[in-house]
Amino acid sequence: MLTPENRMTGPDPSSPEPRLTLKSQLQDLTLVWSWVEALARRYSVPADTQFAIQLCLEEALSNIMRHGYQGQPSQSIAIECAPSGVENADGGELVFTVEDHAPPFDPFAAAPAAAPASIQELQPGGQGIRLMRTFASRLAWQQLPDGNRLTLAFAIPPLSPSVPSPLVP
Amino acid sequence: MQISTEELPGGITLVELDGRMDIAGAAAVDMKMNLIAGSAKKLLIDLKKVDFLGSMGLRSIVIPARAVNSRGGKVVLFAPNEMVESVLKTAGIDTLIPVRHDLDAAIAVLG
Repeated sequence: MLTPENRMTGPDPSSPEPRLTLKSQLQDLTLVWSWVEALARRYSVPADTQFAIQLCLEEALSNIMRHGYQGQPSQSIAIECAPSGVENADGGELVFTVEDHAPPFDPFAAAPAAAPASIQELQPGGQGIRLMRTFASRLAWQQLPDGNRLTLAFAIPPLSPSVPSPLVP
Repeated sequence: MQISTEELPGGITLVELDGRMDIAGAAAVDMKMNLIAGSAKKLLIDLKKVDFLGSMGLRSIVIPARAVNSRGGKVVLFAPNEMVESVLKTAGIDTLIPVRHDLDAAIAVLG
């Protein structure tokens, strides 16, 4: 549960780093949650959008760790957050890019699986792509010379005047 | 992630989940959930204190629900918050496992 005691234990939450590097181990996901919480405070992200960001990043990162890197724990994953258009009157986006060095894989190339017709047909896994398609405003995949880049964007409301100007990545 | 159980009248097993059903949270409750699903015939899963649900958390609900269903039992999901319910709907789970926000209605599903 989120409590005031465990929300943020790092540096000044008003100025989170725009980039985070993880090892491909599930326990490093806790670094992502505190980073996203700090970004959410920084950009006044509504609670439901913060939920969506955490949901999509969990799906993207766990897919990379389990499938892209096949469980090898010492591989690196870089995540970057860049605000886009957040000073516009009608709001902008928080754009997350996730880069790995795993074999090329476009997670959005395949059509989502058909909806199950009964509990017995319900597959326990395989919902990650469907969730990302629903909860992100925009998704993209790009093959890099030695890996993959996923882009996940989330619409956010305009910054209030009291919020400092956006980070420059 | 916390999990607690209570036996209600009518042979209903109430399981209350409390916390984040992310990868770590799912791992923390999986064994207990599967143990409960091994014997429960009427399973009421209380989600009102779950503030996050990812696909691994879904898995921790779906596998026990399938086990109960395969033995002729029934499962109902109770009181998810708006975002948790939207995850259930996106995954199509709400059409297969009833979701109720009123306790009497949830108990009625279990008969």
